[in-house]
Amino acid sequence: MPEKRIVLGNCGATDPNDIETYLGKGGFKGFIKARDRLKPGDIVDQVKKSGLSGRGGAGFPCGLKWELARNAKAKMKYLICNADEGEVGTFKDRYILSHDPFGLIEGICIAGLAIGARQAYIYLRAEYHFLNDPLCRAIAQVKEKGFLKHLDIQVFEGAGSYVCGEESALMDSIEGKRGEARYRPPYPQARGLWGQPTIINNVETLMNIPHIIANGAAWFSAMGTAKSKGTKVFSVSGDVSKPGVYELEMGSSLKELVMDLAGAVDIKAVQVGGRHGNIIPGHMIDIVLSYETCLGPGAVVVFNSKRDIIDIVHNNMHFLNDESCGKCTPCREGTEVMLEILGRLRGVEGAAGDIDALEDLAQTMALASLCGLGQEAAVPVLDSLKYFRAEYVNRIEQSLFLRSYLGEELSKSKEGER
Amino acid sequence: MGNVNVNIDGKKLRVREGVTILEAAEANGIKIPTLCHIKDQVPTGICRVCVVELERSRTLVGSCHTPVSEGMVIHTHSPKVTAVRRVIVELMLTAHTGDCVNDTNAENCVLHNLASDYEVGAPRFNVKVPRFYPAEDSNPYVRRNLSKCILCRKCVRVCASIPGKNILSVGYRGFRSKIVAGFDEALLSEKCRDCGKCIEHCPTGALSAPVKV
Amino acid sequence: MTKETSSITSGRAELLPALKRELKKNGCLTREIMDTVAGRSGLPLNEIYGVATFYAYLPLAPLGQYVIKVCRCLPCDMKDAQAVIGGIKQELGIAPGETTADGKFSLELVNCIGACDQAPAMLINAKLYGNLTPQRIVEILKSY
Repeated sequence: MPEKRIVLGNCGATDPNDIETYLGKGGFKGFIKARDRLKPGDIVDQVKKSGLSGRGGAGFPCGLKWELARNAKAKMKYLICNADEGEVGTFKDRYILSHDPFGLIEGICIAGLAIGARQAYIYLRAEYHFLNDPLCRAIAQVKEKGFLKHLDIQVFEGAGSYVCGEESALMDSIEGKRGEARYRPPYPQARGLWGQPTIINNVETLMNIPHIIANGAAWFSAMGTAKSKGTKVFSVSGDVSKPGVYELEMGSSLKELVMDLAGAVDIKAVQVGGRHGNIIPGHMIDIVLSYETCLGPGAVVVFNSKRDIIDIVHNNMHFLNDESCGKCTPCREGTEVMLEILGRLRGVEGAAGDIDALEDLAQTMALASLCGLGQEAAVPVLDSLKYFRAEYVNRIEQSLFLRSYLGEELSKSKEGER
Repeated sequence: MGNVNVNIDGKKLRVREGVTILEAAEANGIKIPTLCHIKDQVPTGICRVCVVELERSRTLVGSCHTPVSEGMVIHTHSPKVTAVRRVIVELMLTAHTGDCVNDTNAENCVLHNLASDYEVGAPRFNVKVPRFYPAEDSNPYVRRNLSKCILCRKCVRVCASIPGKNILSVGYRGFRSKIVAGFDEALLSEKCRDCGKCIEHCPTGALSAPVKV
Repeated sequence: MTKETSSITSGRAELLPALKRELKKNGCLTREIMDTVAGRSGLPLNEIYGVATFYAYLPLAPLGQYVIKVCRCLPCDMKDAQAVIGGIKQELGIAPGETTADGKFSLELVNCIGACDQAPAMLINAKLYGNLTPQRIVEILKSY
């Protein structure tokens, strides 16, 4: 299956600094249709019928989310575009924001109409500070065209925290607090930013909206699998000859993405879904990419046969430990203990109980952490133990051998000293 | 608000809609352990020892913050719950560097008691650098020994609920989180007086009344 | 959640932007600055300290004029980010976490900066540099 560029359709085809080029490509047709010919309820219906689900990783049905916020009674409703992609191996939002800011803004404009929000924020990660000014200029151009009479859009820049990509932490961050996850319920669509109904959508999710409105729900839902509609944008990196952003119809295979498009040849494993994504061994490369199988935010990192699985999982854990917000016990303490174990395994200093300890910790973190990030933090550990258990077992055996050997050498040298 | 039917540990109960699972359980004589919970304050769901098994839920849920709803089937002490609670308590003890063995207050330590209830044995886990902070004796009303702190944040919340106080916050993040006063400095007596609320709520010996010699 | 009064809410809402403005003006967030922000926002110093120390991009200590942030995460690590870090160390004579004696450069290792397609990558202040090699590093640093 070749690439199917819908979300990325205007990237490279329009000038991100000039709204006229975007309008020339049919830009804002979706918005004008939504504004002039559809009632807010109809917009929500179209999105519901399209089957669009959240592209940030969780995959919650977008139309349902909108409906809940639309029906919530409140003086003020907020719309937040989550541009805080911090997942390691994800850069699709950077690509989209750099090449097609107008597409995103159009999506936000339509979402604002649908849910009745008057204030929208684009939460931009601090690492993408260089995109802040261009984005603000694009918003100003849209405003000049008169498309923002119903909505104010502000860019809110983060300050360096991965957890702020989690929606409750993101809202805390906008509220001027530490960006820590909140328990739910209440869900943001009922009680979100400043206690008001709030919709938080990923950049890619919102990019789909103008196309759905312009071309109809049926056009959209004809693409993909039973439960995953439309296309998905993937960020591919690691051991490939052509790293970059690719858009494929949902239900395409991992093989098409990493081998046919990105040029991977030698594949030991692929991590799909980012830092706490699934680790797929090379022999399962035909796996289909969809919410039903594995997807996450579409971060895909390829590892060749020279890569060490324990190194990979250790680097994963280093990141998660560094970025854990520290609010709940399982994630705060669990990532630290896992890092200690993985660090020892990496340095061939494993101990007999290490695999059991990792599995116990992984289970506890998955079942008891406060937010999705903590719950998923152990996924790479569990996956690698499932598919590459022999590497862990070998490493522990090597460690035990080395220790006993070195122990003998050490006692010999001590005897020598005497 | 009306009533809802829930099943907790096999008991069919009718409870008021809107109460939490913890409140429903307590009202019916079912005990669920807590560390960060403060009665009548907005829950935070931080410590996770109150997690329970809710049928049809992918994860365990925090009982202190999850409201009951019609038809919930809940297990507060299933093998899964017990195993998870044990690991959580184990994790709290891992980075803990208090001299609890010599502590005369140890029998009042909620963490200590939980560890014995859940039969947490010899420490299994390690961290590269355990949390260690020198004990602070500078304040005449509160002695702080943050090496024993499990970051439940009860002190932060009770202090914030006293008008004109709010002198404690959580600083840093992740494993390096720490309860801080001011610019991460000693608790000054001009600001902190003798109300003793934080000492009352501290589940470990991290905050205590100074020993009068 | 609903307990907060509106005045606290408004002071809070401005907190991150205010800290960022101060950071831009002063280069770091000192105690004096946080005291000023506390006075203006009505929030206690401990709260502001708690928020500031949570975020990786709000430094408390002064940094160089140009802050080099090299990504240490997996995709960059796999493309030999270590050699790039080594190149910078050699060129500037500083290790991660240090600042050159003339106060011009600071070196930091950071988490994913979202440039894995151009790994290894780094930011100098807000400018993104990708596909780095130890040779290119020398040229880039000379341009500053």
